Amino acid sequence: MKALSSPLFYLWLLSFLFFSSCQVTLAPAYDQAIVDKVTANSELAMRFFAQVDGGTDSATYNLREPIYNELIGSFESLKLQAKARPVPENAALDKINALLASKGTSPIAGDYPSAFAFEQIAATFAKMKNTDKTQGLKPVVLEAFKGQIEIYLDQAITYEGFLKR
Amino acid sequence: MSEQVASIISEIKTIASNVLERDIQEVRGFSERQVEAIAKQTAIIKKGVENGEIDDDLREFFLDGLEAMTLNFVNTLKGILAVTIEKLWNALIKFIYKAVGAVT
Repeated sequence: MKALSSPLFYLWLLSFLFFSSCQVTLAPAYDQAIVDKVTANSELAMRFFAQVDGGTDSATYNLREPIYNELIGSFESLKLQAKARPVPENAALDKINALLASKGTSPIAGDYPSAFAFEQIAATFAKMKNTDKTQGLKPVVLEAFKGQIEIYLDQAITYEGFLKR
Repeated sequence: MSEQVASIISEIKTIASNVLERDIQEVRGFSERQVEAIAKQTAIIKKGVENGEIDDDLREFFLDGLEAMTLNFVNTLKGILAVTIEKLWNALIKFIYKAVGAVT
């Protein structure tokens, strides 16, 4: 914090920014279509959890199969949409990562955390579907599936929302 | 000259504070929600394993899930950091070019 009050720090910052480059892009572009789709599917997922609240019996699995398929397909498709955006690569990002590496910190950027979350949500619904089909869902098991999906949804929604600069 | 430098420093501080304060507030809220949810998830899995509702296969699935979601929590924070750095960088560059234009 002491460095922040030093005029030399600001002179260095001015020179660094001025000579390094102009405007930079370090993260993918915001996509309203992805945000709309994840909002709609998270609502569908939460309505489904409300329907099966308390657990399920494998005997009635067939009634739920179409919803599982819709949810799995939608989140797989969201993963593809999220990954389809190009990852920005530029000199500024390389410099920041080199600086982080020199401080012993892992680099920023890399794969999209939202795409990973969408993939894991689809995999969680697939596992839930299979468990429901073979043995039904006991209350605690259902709670664990719901918890896992909610955590990934929060990660994906927060990240995608943050991309709106 | 020194007045100009002081004014530039003050402006940079304001720009940086505006970007950082807003983003840090959002990140803090997200982190608190995630940490609480991951802790709750751990407790649910423990309860299910103890009462036998979560069998070995599901236990392995949920434990792998805990590991992956924690890793992705950190990666989400890194992704957010990249956006914050970008916003800060671009705001400062915009100001600096404007300031240089004003003094030349």
